[in-house]
Amino acid sequence: MELEISLYPKPFEVLGVNVGLSVVVAWCVLAVVLAALFLVRLYVNKFQMEPKGLQNLLEYVIESMYGFARGHVGLYAEFVAPISLTLMIYVFFTTIIELFGLPPATEDLNCTIALGLCSFIMVNVTSIRFKGVRGRIRNLASPSFIVFPIKILTDMIAPFSMGIRLFANVLIGGVIMQLIYAVVPVLLPAALSAYFNVLHIAIQTFVVGLLSLTYIGEAVE
Amino acid sequence: MPVLGLIAIGAGLAVLAGGAAALGMGLATSRSAEAIARQPEAAGKINSSLMFGLIMMETTAVYALLVAILLIFVLGGNA
Repeated sequence: MELEISLYPKPFEVLGVNVGLSVVVAWCVLAVVLAALFLVRLYVNKFQMEPKGLQNLLEYVIESMYGFARGHVGLYAEFVAPISLTLMIYVFFTTIIELFGLPPATEDLNCTIALGLCSFIMVNVTSIRFKGVRGRIRNLASPSFIVFPIKILTDMIAPFSMGIRLFANVLIGGVIMQLIYAVVPVLLPAALSAYFNVLHIAIQTFVVGLLSLTYIGEAVE
Repeated sequence: MPVLGLIAIGAGLAVLAGGAAALGMGLATSRSAEAIARQPEAAGKINSSLMFGLIMMETTAVYALLVAILLIFVLGGNA
């Protein structure tokens, strides 16, 4: 039996250029999600004072995201929460596409490290915007200037650590499901896939949000 | 020339890190349960810091698994 495991995305040619299947999948998912969000935006205009149905759900999601952000970055939650939610929506939908038999876009190291770099930019922009360049440097040099190089190193490693973590989790979820399919092809995979393909992805989404918020919280405190 | 058997042993050794991660996770969770029992009103803060610690420990296990998979499929695949 052959397992399909590759660290590189499957090749996919657009106009004779190999862009990788994961890039195409990511853009397709993004188009669908953007269309859905556009419809939601139209719906937001028709909000009523007494919420019901979908409005309840939307308000619940947004409120809990702001609460989650407030717990980690405090005063700056207003600025940080929307970006963090965007990151989480992107990770969730590009990974959950695995259920439809397409390779998830986050199973590509390029994608996850790019997400890690986004979070790195978020950390620095938030910190410099609210604390200024001097404040950022002072934060890096606290409590003593001796730790300055170590803190720089930690900040530089963080995006790669985040990217490799997400990549490895998604890759390993797929590998375990393939192994289970190879051993017991009926019934059992259906039950276990509820964990490895749905709950696991939800946990990873939460982890991405939590980590980005924690790094920002450390940078602005 | 790489030897397939040794690659398999190396992959098995790499996954041993998972045991250490599990030990750490168990310790952290038991301590947080004790802390919540002692101070139920602080449950939210304890849970969020526990979560962060668990993520860091889980990363160790995931890296070990990734190393094992790389050993088997990349190094072993070329043998």
